[in-house]
Amino acid sequence: MKNKYRLSHSEIAIKARSIRKKIIEMNAHAGAGHTGTDLSEVDILATLYFHILNVDNERPDDPDRDRFILSKGHGAGGYYCTLAEAGFIEEELLQTYLQADSKLPGHPVRQKTTGVELNTGALGHGLPVGVGLALAAKKQNKSWKSYVLLGDGELGEGSNWEAAMAASHYKLDNLTAIIDRNTLQLADRTEKIMGLEPLADKWKAFGFEVHQTDGNDPQSLLECFASLEAGNNRPKLIIARTTKGKGISFIEDKASWHHRIPVGNEVFAAIKELE
Amino acid sequence: MTEEAEKGKNLVVMVSDSTSTSKIQPFQEKFPEKVVNVGIAEQNLIGAAAGMALGGMIPITANAAPFLIGRSNEQVKNDICYSNTNVKLVGLNPGFAYGPLGPTHHCIDDISVMRGFGNITIFTPQDPREVRALFHYLLSHEGPAYIRLDSFSCENLPGTSENFKPGALTFHRGGSGDDCDLAIICLGTASHAGLAAAERLASEGINAAVVGISSIRPIDRGALSAVIASCGRVLTVEEHSAHGGIGSLAAEVIAENGLSAILKRLAIPEGQFAPASPVPAIQKAYQLDSEGIVAATHTFLRQTRKDD
Repeated sequence: MKNKYRLSHSEIAIKARSIRKKIIEMNAHAGAGHTGTDLSEVDILATLYFHILNVDNERPDDPDRDRFILSKGHGAGGYYCTLAEAGFIEEELLQTYLQADSKLPGHPVRQKTTGVELNTGALGHGLPVGVGLALAAKKQNKSWKSYVLLGDGELGEGSNWEAAMAASHYKLDNLTAIIDRNTLQLADRTEKIMGLEPLADKWKAFGFEVHQTDGNDPQSLLECFASLEAGNNRPKLIIARTTKGKGISFIEDKASWHHRIPVGNEVFAAIKELE
Repeated sequence: MTEEAEKGKNLVVMVSDSTSTSKIQPFQEKFPEKVVNVGIAEQNLIGAAAGMALGGMIPITANAAPFLIGRSNEQVKNDICYSNTNVKLVGLNPGFAYGPLGPTHHCIDDISVMRGFGNITIFTPQDPREVRALFHYLLSHEGPAYIRLDSFSCENLPGTSENFKPGALTFHRGGSGDDCDLAIICLGTASHAGLAAAERLASEGINAAVVGISSIRPIDRGALSAVIASCGRVLTVEEHSAHGGIGSLAAEVIAENGLSAILKRLAIPEGQFAPASPVPAIQKAYQLDSEGIVAATHTFLRQTRKDD
């Protein structure tokens, strides 16, 4: 199974712009959402779904598909918009985000939304599950890969580090963790609340093959994914440097936009910037 | 496990450094590639189990109940129950089985915690026959399950079956419609003490029905209600807190059905830990051994003397 799109970086950038518009419209319509976080992860998600992930929206349950887990489950809005853009869910569904009995609840639910692998929302759960997936693939001699997108604030959870030890110990070179390193968490900057640096050193010490890239630039992301070494017994870690709220000038890099949504004129202004 | 693996079941046993706790050496020798030991990392154990299930295998986790319920509580809730992954969680040495090691190693809340989670079945097998039957059942039925599993050896009880029926009560002695003085309802292996007590009581002319519970969810509430209604007095026996286990379950059934019945719960009293003491001493202190159940019955009958 191969990714059916395999778009170039400039084509991915166009998809990312379209996803950003969907996010703004969806969150405004719903009256709630995590706009800042949705926007920072878009380029990573677009690169994954339009080039890297061996998945097929027409065969979402294929047992040989690559697995992707949105461990930063509060980024559900950006994820749903990406899934809609990639044809896993109907675009019309985006208008039901956060409504009663919706297929698009506030955090991803695999029983409700096609393409979702794990019910995240509580932080620190994705990487251990990713370890289990990657280990299952190895044990069954399967070649599909596992990808986990983490928030940087999320790395405060100790369960991530249990999983990191295990990933290295089990030589899970079929597991790639990506950190949406926007340096902001709910209350303030990560380094003020609980410093993560030196982050790359920490992951190297845990035995990962560590890469750093511009997480809001599809070209850098594609180059980074292409540089991951196959079959070297080391799990992969990509620190994707991003800006929270990327793409809308008045949303960029502000902690207050973690939970905020654009209202009134902000919606028009945002869409205008994306045009 | 060995039989099912030999039949080709794609299972994997997962432990958190708990190989001796789970006594899996014979299985491990035969199928080393089907055992995963993540070390002392319970959260990772359960997360990885969810991942292995999503990746197409059937994980059976096996570690001490206190650490499963306590340390990886959120993983059980979200990665297993809420995400509906096909993992069988075995909680070993529950209750106060670790005796003098004290409350850090006791688990008197596993039933109350698991009853509070959605989307998981809860089983408490009473003897080796039921354990076998249960695991064969679980490996052919999908869905999250919690199994409270003791480690000590015991005899097979006459009333248990080789075909595990989720929901069914085990009537070890008497049943609904009988002319009984009380119903003794036992959680899992407490059925041994309950049955022994009933036999002693019978020699004193006291007729006790004995019901064993090996399936908490699902459970046949109708059958439970019927036996409680016909006896009018209920004594529940559990190596568990009085809160949230079968004592609470009996209270719910009585209250919801408006039954004319009175309940006494033998358990660790709500709001208390069990002491750090040898297991027989704890059982004696809380009337959870057969002598204690007999004594508690005498008091119970005296306090609730019927006008008949």
